[in-house]
Amino acid sequence: MKNVPCLLSSGVVTTISKLTKTCVLRLTPDNLFFILSGKVTNGGVGMWCELLQNNFFDEYQMEGVSSEFNQICLEVSPENLSRALRTVQCAKSVKIKLTKKHCACLTVAAELPTLSSASRVVTHDVPVEVIPRRLWQEFKEPVMPDFDVSIYLPPLKMLKNVVDRMKNLSNFLVIEANLNGEMNLKIQTDLVSVSTHFKDLGNPPWGPSQRGDPELLAEATVDIRKLQQFLVGQQVNPTKAMCNIVHQNVVHLILLHEDVSLQYFIPAVA
Amino acid sequence: MPLSTQSQSEDVQDVLVANLDNARSLSNILKAITCKDHAIFTATANGLKVTVEDCKCMQANAFIQADIFQEFTLKDDIVVFQINLTVLLDCLNIFGGTPAAGVSTALRMCYRGYGYPLTLFLEEGGVVTVCKINTSEPEEPIDFEFSSSNVTNKVILLSESLKEAFSELDLTSEVLEITMSPSQPYFRLSTFGNSGNAHYDYSKDSDMMELFQCNRTQTNRYKMSLLKPSTKALAISCKVSVRTDSRGVLSLQYLVRNDDGQICFVEYFCCPDEEVEEG
Amino acid sequence: MQCVVTGGNVKVLGKAVHSLSRIGDELYVEPQEEGLALRSVNSSRSAYASFLFAPLFFSRYSIPRGLNFRCKLAIKSVQTVFRSLATLEKTVEKCHIGLDEQKDRLTFTLHCKHGLLKTHNLSYQDSESLEAVFDKDSCANVFRAQPRVLVDTVVHFPTSLEEVTLTLSDERMWVRNHVEDEAERSKAVLTELCLAADEFDHFDIKLHNSITFCLKEFRGLLLFAESTGLPVTMYLDEPGSPVVLSVTDSVLEGNFVLATLSDDHYLRQSNRGADAEQTRPPDDFMNDDMDAYLIAMDSSVAPGPSTADPPSLAAFRKPPAPNYRTRTYSEEEEDGEEDPERPPDKKFRSLFFGSVLPPSPRRSSQPFTTQEVLASDSEEDEAEAD
Repeated sequence: MKNVPCLLSSGVVTTISKLTKTCVLRLTPDNLFFILSGKVTNGGVGMWCELLQNNFFDEYQMEGVSSEFNQICLEVSPENLSRALRTVQCAKSVKIKLTKKHCACLTVAAELPTLSSASRVVTHDVPVEVIPRRLWQEFKEPVMPDFDVSIYLPPLKMLKNVVDRMKNLSNFLVIEANLNGEMNLKIQTDLVSVSTHFKDLGNPPWGPSQRGDPELLAEATVDIRKLQQFLVGQQVNPTKAMCNIVHQNVVHLILLHEDVSLQYFIPAVA
Repeated sequence: MPLSTQSQSEDVQDVLVANLDNARSLSNILKAITCKDHAIFTATANGLKVTVEDCKCMQANAFIQADIFQEFTLKDDIVVFQINLTVLLDCLNIFGGTPAAGVSTALRMCYRGYGYPLTLFLEEGGVVTVCKINTSEPEEPIDFEFSSSNVTNKVILLSESLKEAFSELDLTSEVLEITMSPSQPYFRLSTFGNSGNAHYDYSKDSDMMELFQCNRTQTNRYKMSLLKPSTKALAISCKVSVRTDSRGVLSLQYLVRNDDGQICFVEYFCCPDEEVEEG
Repeated sequence: MQCVVTGGNVKVLGKAVHSLSRIGDELYVEPQEEGLALRSVNSSRSAYASFLFAPLFFSRYSIPRGLNFRCKLAIKSVQTVFRSLATLEKTVEKCHIGLDEQKDRLTFTLHCKHGLLKTHNLSYQDSESLEAVFDKDSCANVFRAQPRVLVDTVVHFPTSLEEVTLTLSDERMWVRNHVEDEAERSKAVLTELCLAADEFDHFDIKLHNSITFCLKEFRGLLLFAESTGLPVTMYLDEPGSPVVLSVTDSVLEGNFVLATLSDDHYLRQSNRGADAEQTRPPDDFMNDDMDAYLIAMDSSVAPGPSTADPPSLAAFRKPPAPNYRTRTYSEEEEDGEEDPERPPDKKFRSLFFGSVLPPSPRRSSQPFTTQEVLASDSEEDEAEAD
């Protein structure tokens, strides 16, 4: 992999590093995926981030175990990868390679500009773990849940501000929305109740827009920290941001950039 | 403004209704007195006074005059309630509270009376937040009986010059000693920390000194922990008046200019820790 | 004692204090005829830093003839005096340093704009002179770089990183993070930076080897060098011998002396005899009452590379030859095999200095001396002279 437009890719990786300490990086001939399967150990939170390789790399070569299973799955620390990419942001060129060093590594090698004629080379060996094929079936694209409501999200910055404040006041938040473009965030404690009402958000054309009462709210109570983590990492405003709610079950957040898509699942608490 | 239409019908029962185009005008000044959670709100025809106390020997007051508000309606002569200030500030800043170009949070604040919550309607860019904050029985605030006729010494300084001193205060010192004197050192702040002492002397002729009226030399010590919170008021103020009375009680009055250039006040009272008075 | 600093030099003095605070908790102050010396040493005595401000640095510098005064203060309290370096430049017109021996107070008075006078009376303790014994001139490897070159280098390493390893060849310098043990290595990001000789103002490498030292103190010096724009000269020798970082101009000199890692394992395995052989008879310092002094010393013998990381360096791990300087460095390959050697199991067991000298002949021309370590907690420190 060569010549990563680093600002963007490190932005994606930084976003992911806010969401999880480790995740799976799955490489296929056309795509890169960052995956966190919704296991109990990470509080049931799941993530699926998809990048089109040809938007990020001038050159991209990969060879999986066989032509039949042409993919590579690695366990990576997004934080480590993000830091490596951050320090090479102003590089003339960047290469990312899977290497065998003291252990398997993603090696980020960059040519840095200097004041002198020679350029300076920096390499970061980010340790990874190669995931054997028998475990691959865990890393399939999650099935779109059969949601009750799908709605566009308000500007993420405003959403973040509201969620940040609510986090100061409470541990849990109720998120509710309907097919009339309305979404509410609510918290309630012994001291205070706060509800923020967004309207005219619009509903994506997919989903259950035909059935039922458009005013009917689907709701889910979630751990505020998980929603906050998702919002804290958002450095770029996506072209589309959406939220699907399965009533009292799960909140499914989707961000679409031109060349990246990110899905995030937050389970509802009872 | 959508807010005013929204809740007009409810107004009938409210004993206090206050509208503000920019919630920051209120949240900023309240931030300057946050040293304890509990705050006493006192509304009179003059405006709003918010009081916070610590250890019965320090009191911080924020004054927001009625004409700062676009609407300020009182059904009674005086309305008093107690509220959690930290919670109130989180509510007031629900949309971030940082100034963005041309965007401000509008606020409507309603209180129906004893036993009811304080209700806030906040609106920014068409998004509305409703907060209901529980209120409680107000405690009686301390009367420091500080009257201007008893003032021994008074100086008015541009806040700029005190900010530096307060940011550098040696916090290992338990007390902050303030000396005011008609002769040298005129106005002195001293700390006595683990590794030595420090004195900050302000000349009476400095262009930072707007007024210097000291009648006799007075040296008093105040608990650092009680005075440190006043740094927040200092930070947003442009001038500060430092006064002591014959008992050594300290009054710090801060003049605060909000985003729209209007003026509010914050006042701190603090009892002296121990007296080391000299003739 | 009267020292008066004015204008931009107040900030330089403040920066020096801040950069010394990266070393130790105490500031040693020693007014001398040659100027005012400010020094610090870390608790494990593996890092020492010293600034000497010449009389010309001051707008007034007078110390009573025969003044034999040395003290130490909590460095935090001195930092308070120079708290905000940004405003220091704008607001402070004059800084006066005075001594009240009666009250055991060192007084810093800052005359600021708008008639504000800040007086800090800091209590001090008498101390012996703190002086490291080091000899820059005998170091085999010397290079000098603009502070920016080095700042841009260390920025690639996380602030939590403790040590870096420099590997030197005729044409290049490699910098990489030093990772202690194997378990850590499989988790840690290994970063390596390669700088060409022409990035340096001066690059004179006689000895091809790898030297590992602490990054925090190195950053401390860079803090000072960057703000004053002074180039940094680095003097390096064998692994285990201290590395010296210097900044100088006509009115000041700063030296940071940092212990480097020697290869313990290597030392134990193959160098017992050599070790003993190289032990020299104690010198003059040895005869002083050592309890009064802070003495630590260098104990390195191992000429082998100080780290276990670049696999190609494993080639050097042969019994030391007296002419190890002739060994060459082979270009490392990108991927390599597991290093057979254990990495050193204890950090900086070689501590190097902190020897105390009588105040007068200040700089020893003697290289590292052989002494018992008093300040170190390691068991088997012995010394090697250059």
